[in-house]
This record gives sequence, structure tokens and C-alpha cells, in this order.
Amino acid sequence: MSSVTAYFSDIYRGLSTALVGMSITLRYLFSRPVTEMYPDVKPMTPTRYRGVHVFEEEKCIGCYVCAKACPVECIEIGVVRKGKEIKITRFDIDYQKCMFCDLCCEPCPAHCIHMGPEFEKASFTRKGTILRFATPKSLTEEEKKVEKVAKK
Amino acid sequence: MNELALNLPVWIDQVNAHTGLRISVPAHLIPILAMFLCASIVAAAMGLSAAVLVWAERKLAGHFQCRLGPVYVGGKFGWLQSIADGIKLFLKEDLIPSDADRPLFRIAPYPVVLGVLLAFIAFPISEKLMVADLNVGIFFILAVLTVEVFGVILAGWASNNKWALIGAMRAVAQMVSYEIPMGLAILPVIMEAQSLSLKSIVNAQSGGILQWYVFQSPVFIGISFLIFFIAALASLKRAPFDLPEAESELTAGFHTEYSGMRFSFFFMAEYAGMILVSGLAALLYLGGWHGIFQGQAGPEWFLLKTSFLVFVMIWIRWTLPRLRIDQVVYLGWKVLTPFVLVCVVGQSFLAYK
Amino acid sequence: MNIASSAARIEQDVKTDELVINMGPQHPSTHGVLRVILKVDGEICLDAQPDIGYLHRCAEKIAENLIYGMFVPYTDRMDYVSGMGCNLGYCMAVETVAGIQIPPRAEYLRVIVTELNRIASHLLAFGTYGLDTGAITPFLYGFRERELVLDLLEMLCGARLTYSYIRIGGVDGDVTPDFMSKLKEFIDLFPKKIREYNKLLTFNHIFMKRTTGVGVLPPDVAIAYGVTGPSLRGSGVKRDVRRDDPYSIYDKLEFDVPVGTTQHGGPIGDCWNRYHVRMRELEECVKILQQCVQMMPPGPIMVEKLGRVKPAAKAEAYTRMENARGELAFYVVSDGTMTPARVKVRAPSFSNISVLPEIVRGQMIADVVAIIGSLDIVLGEIDR
Repeated sequence: MSSVTAYFSDIYRGLSTALVGMSITLRYLFSRPVTEMYPDVKPMTPTRYRGVHVFEEEKCIGCYVCAKACPVECIEIGVVRKGKEIKITRFDIDYQKCMFCDLCCEPCPAHCIHMGPEFEKASFTRKGTILRFATPKSLTEEEKKVEKVAKK
Repeated sequence: MNELALNLPVWIDQVNAHTGLRISVPAHLIPILAMFLCASIVAAAMGLSAAVLVWAERKLAGHFQCRLGPVYVGGKFGWLQSIADGIKLFLKEDLIPSDADRPLFRIAPYPVVLGVLLAFIAFPISEKLMVADLNVGIFFILAVLTVEVFGVILAGWASNNKWALIGAMRAVAQMVSYEIPMGLAILPVIMEAQSLSLKSIVNAQSGGILQWYVFQSPVFIGISFLIFFIAALASLKRAPFDLPEAESELTAGFHTEYSGMRFSFFFMAEYAGMILVSGLAALLYLGGWHGIFQGQAGPEWFLLKTSFLVFVMIWIRWTLPRLRIDQVVYLGWKVLTPFVLVCVVGQSFLAYK
Repeated sequence: MNIASSAARIEQDVKTDELVINMGPQHPSTHGVLRVILKVDGEICLDAQPDIGYLHRCAEKIAENLIYGMFVPYTDRMDYVSGMGCNLGYCMAVETVAGIQIPPRAEYLRVIVTELNRIASHLLAFGTYGLDTGAITPFLYGFRERELVLDLLEMLCGARLTYSYIRIGGVDGDVTPDFMSKLKEFIDLFPKKIREYNKLLTFNHIFMKRTTGVGVLPPDVAIAYGVTGPSLRGSGVKRDVRRDDPYSIYDKLEFDVPVGTTQHGGPIGDCWNRYHVRMRELEECVKILQQCVQMMPPGPIMVEKLGRVKPAAKAEAYTRMENARGELAFYVVSDGTMTPARVKVRAPSFSNISVLPEIVRGQMIADVVAIIGSLDIVLGEIDR
């Protein structure tokens, strides 16, 4: 007899659980969709979002701590020192390598590098992914000799 | 269609009178022209309704899942999406595998589509709108729907692909084992109506909602309605019985080697089949084109009932997981067939008291 | 005419060949790039050999060239679904080697984010398991809730998948009041959703038919192969590193360790049990979160003036923790320099997937997908 009851309870359970599941999906049919219309509506990124870097050139002292902290060596810095004067000639971050890990921002003694809210920096060329944060400067011959450009 | 054949000469004369053209069709060709016109209208309606149904399924699927469906092609609701997909399928390269059986490969989509198209012949939308009022209507429809099985086997065999063949055999096992409950589930209705013609079955349900067969004999015909619906879902290879299609768990289904227009035939046959089967269920069990209160009748009621049943099919698909093939066959033979036989016997006692 | 003997003779005469199927590195029910070589006789599987290595990225070798602190983002990418857990494991190992004590507030924060990440990982396992069995909608529902968790973690550390929030010596940033209020909202909302998932998928008869009695893993076999985590607990063995060998503050927290049962009418150790253990663990995670939110003390979140870690020479440590998939362990050996001499990762999915040939024997082809889904593997940590 138990196999007969098992047969009928099987059928009953099949139908009842199907109906329960269908009632749940029906409820969501009439609720608001959670889709964000991405390319038309930009998402709100929170304050601590780790996007493309924000670099404050005036504060930078050219200490190379951020470049040394980077696990993949994607920061390349060019510095010209003349006494107390520091000129940042180059501050390139290669976003093909950068993994947005935020290890560069913490050790900076001058608090001049942060991670910002932007993330849409896709490019059609490899060169386009290397972003230059330092403003272009023209150097004298003497300055060019003293320039130190390195990734570490 | 007979009425169309009768009216055609009158219409042609009217067109001649209004526009000044001199179309003259010889008398023996009028029926052929009428047939041709009917066939094209049916095919066009089937294609268009399949396109609309594809869009509706995608939109509904999206909303069941808390997201939007197509929203870009054709304005905010994306209603041109299925037409865009159709154009894409049309323009695709026609690939035939090198070792495949070429004639069979080419022929295979046609029986599948033919099965569904032919069934639309005996399919009345309202009192006056039908192609042909066959007096063995429902029998003809069921017989013609089995032609699909040929197409599936041919597709699986001709693909020269082990996995397509296994998928086709599983699909055929499923389709064939659910034809019996589907055929038997119709018997209680036929016993009540004492006729196989769809028009007379529907006319026997006139007179308000309580006269629909589902409510006239709620136990036996109600259960056979449920069985008919489930058997139809399995016959169409729709979820939760879509193991042949979504075989992409491990292998790909019987239509793996098909692309472009050939694939769109399979696709269209499935969606047109959905409409056909929902329409049949509405005609047989839910009163066809009769309304809720006595005296209301019209094609809009029929369309309403059919759309409701199609909605239920889509709803079921997006809720339930898939059954394994042995569970599918178990359900068909060991659950649905005994229950439908009980319904037939029970209804026969009620009908011939 | 003896029917039995003629049937036996037919069996002998009709020689059915074994078929070797390749479930290739790319397949739709993908849990990563896993290749499974199936030997099949008709519908019944005889053997399934997993072939791994498609995602190998030499993480352990890279660790030998990086300073201890710089390896933390690499641990994220091993088990990318539950990155916080891997961060935690590595940081615990390095702190043991270097003898660093971290402030109590940091411990509570670590547990909060690890449990949130466990919820996210189990929701992904739930969703993809629904996909494997054919129910597409639970996947979307699971991901809708997972978005809430990811939004919380994004608010805290700025990233949604590869966090590197847990650093050596503490955590990266403190919580804001905004985060705490959103976390409380999530804790209130989530149990209702778990009940909904149970109604929609777990106790759905078709799903239960697909997964009950399939892929039964006996407890002794599981222990012999080194299976851990929900896959082991689904076989009835009550082992949880948070309970047996408590690390961090887990000895102060109250939570249950769910194990497999026979309530569903099937054996202990089948696919349904492994899946159900994960669903019950979701409820336990919520309990832990509630307690942590109440008990968290104020204070610093990072050891003061840590700088770069330089442990003593020949110091080594093996620390283990309970990740979403099982027991994740790190073995760190230091040679007195700024870079480790060796970092070895014991990934739970590696041992879990090794049990596949045992449990697939005798099942149908259509069940193999259900079995792989129930083991919940992530190829990132199998291959590293």
C-alpha cells in the first residue's frame, strides 16, 4: 500500500510545489524591475569607489613610494629635482596592468593620489590605456640630464 | 474557404468596376485561387503571431525575473526585436555540414512546420472565421500534428552528429509518448458533444460560463483539461519538458547543425504550436468564442482565452526546473495515461446515463 | 527455454562499447574552465576524470617575488567568488608568521565582511545550481540579493569582486554609519528571501526529483578524499573549522553547523543535501552578522605603524579557515627577507573535485551536471 500512497503523494506534491513556485514568480511579474539602464543612466558610485586614479600634482614630492608599493609595477614617475624644487615631468599609470587594488594610495606621505569614481576608460589602442596624469612640461637641457624616470 | 470561393467572383467584379482593371479569372480556377489566398493568409498569420509571441515571451521572461526584456529595438518596449531577429536569421550563412545527408538535411524542417500549418486549416477562430469546417476537425488536427515527429528524426539523422541523433531520439520518445494522453484527453469532450467537428463542439458550449465543458463536468473534464495541457507542453518540447532543446547541458539538441532560415522554421513551429495548442484547449474545454454571459460571442473572447493559456505556458516555463528524460517518460506513461483513462471511463458513465 | 540464460547470452553477444565523451573546457553549465572526460556505457557513466589547469596563473610562484603586503590582491583572484575569505586566510597566516596582534575591532570587521561574502558566494551557488537543473528564474532572484551584498561591500571598500579589504594588520577602512544602517536593513530583509528561495527551488518537486539520491557521497569516502565544507557536511559529518578550531572571534559567536539529513526522503550525502546545507548556512550567516553588529567594540582598525612586514627567518605558519567552499589553508614560510620563501594554498575546491569519479559512477549523463553543480567548485582556486 505504501507504494500506492507514495505514487499519489508524488503527484500531489508535484502539482502543489509547482503552484507555489508559480505564485512567487507571479508576484514578481507585477513588481518593479531592478534593471539599471546603464549606458543612458550612469550608476552612482560610492565615495570609496576604486576607479581610475585622481592625482594632485602640486602635492607630489616624487618619493616613488606608490610606484614601489604597486604589485604589478604599473606606475612610472619622472622627477626633476633642483634643490627644493620638485618638478613631476611624468606620472603615467598603465591601466592594462593596474588591478585597482588601492595599495598605492595608502603609503603616499603627501596624500596626493586617490582612487576616483570613474571607470570608463576603455580605449581602442594600447597607448590609449596609459593615462598621463602629469601636465606636459618643457624641460631645459640641464633639467633633462637630472631627470629620473623609473617605475620603482 | 468555401464562402471565400463563392464570394471571389463578386469581389473581382467589384474591383474591376472600381479601378477599371480587367482581371478575369476562369471559373475552374476560382477555387484554386481561393485556396492559395487562404493558405497565404494562414501562413502569414502564423509567422506574424510567432513573431509577436517571441517578443511577448522575452518581455514576460524579463518581468518574471525582475528585469526588463528587450528595450532598445523599436522604442521603449522593443517590439521590433523579434523582427530584427528574424531578419538576422534570414541573412545568416546557410551551413550544411560536409558529411551530412544533404537532401534529408534540407527537407527536415519542412515536416515540422507543415504539421503545424496544416492543423490551422481546421481551426476556427469564431463562428464564421475558419478555413474549412471539417466534420472530423479535431481528429484531423491531432493526426496532422504527429507529422512533426518525422521532421525531428530527419533533422537528427541528417546532421551526421552523434549528439544530434541521441537528442532527436529522446525528443521523439517524448513526443510520441505524450500523444496518447493528448488524444485520450479529448475523448470526454467528444463524448459530451457527440461530434468531432470543432464548430459543433464549441456551439455545444454556448450559454454562459457554466456551460463550458470544464465547468459542466468539473471532475472528469477538468482533469482531462489539465492532462491535455501537460501533454501538449511535452509534445511541444517546452519547459519543464525541454530536455531535447536545452540538451546543451551536455550535448546540443536535434537542431544543433541548423542555422539561419532552417533554424527559424523549427523555432517558428514551436511558437505557432503553442498558439495552436492553446487555441485547441480554449475551443474544446473553455467554450471557444463564447463569452462569460449568455449571448456574448466573438473572436475576441477566443483570443482572450488563447492568450491566457499561452501566458500560463510561458509562466510555467520560467518557473520550473527541467525533468530528466526518464522522468518525462515515466510521467507520460505511468501518470498521465492511467488518469486520462479513468477520466474517459468516468465521463462515459456521465455522458450516456 | 530459460529466459535468464538467453538474456545473459544476448548481453554477451551484443557488445556495447564504452564511449568517451569530452565535456570540454567551455560548456554552458560552466563553473569555470573545467574539462571532464566521461566514460559512458549507454546512459550510465562509468568514470569521470576532471582535467584542470586551464586557469593556472602561477600565483604561488608570484608570491615568492612580492612583498607580503603586495600579495593580498592576488589572493582575491584565486577564489574570486569569496575573495574576502582568501584575503583573510592569507593575512592570518602572515600575522602568525610575523607575530602581529590585530585590534579587536578589526577582528569583528573581518568577520562581518567574510560572512557577507559567504552569503554572496552561496547565493551564486544557489543561482547557478538552479541554472544547471533548468530553472532560470532563481538565478536572477539570487543575483538580485547578491547585488545588495555587493553594494554593501562596495560602500565599504570600493570594489565589488576583488576586494583586498582585509590587509595584514587589520582592515583597510572603517565602517560608516550609512553602511551600518544599510547592513541592518539587509539583515532584516534577507531571511524572508531565504524562505522564498526554499519555496521556489529547494522544495520544488521537480528539483527534488533531479537531485535526491543523485551523486551520493558516503562520509568515509568524503573524509578519505579530503572533502571539506558544505560538501562534507552534506554527507553528515559535522566538521566546521569555525567550530572545531576557532580562529578570529568565532569562539565568542553562537551559530549552528548544519549537516545533511534524510528529511527529504533521500539518503544523506546526495546532491540535495549538499545544496540544502548551503541554504541553511545562509541563515547562520545572518545570525552571525546580527551578533557581530551588536558586539563590535570601538577602536582602531589597523595596527599602528606597521609598515612592511619582515618576519623572522625560518618562521612558518599553517593557518586554516572556513571559506564558503570548505577549509582554506595557507602555509607561509619566511626566510627573513621582505618576500616569503614559499606560499602554499590548500584550496577546498581542489579536494572537492577530486571526489568526482567516485560519485559519478552509475549515474546517468544528465546527472553529471547536477553533481558538479552541487560540489560548488570555483576553478580559480583549483588552478590558482
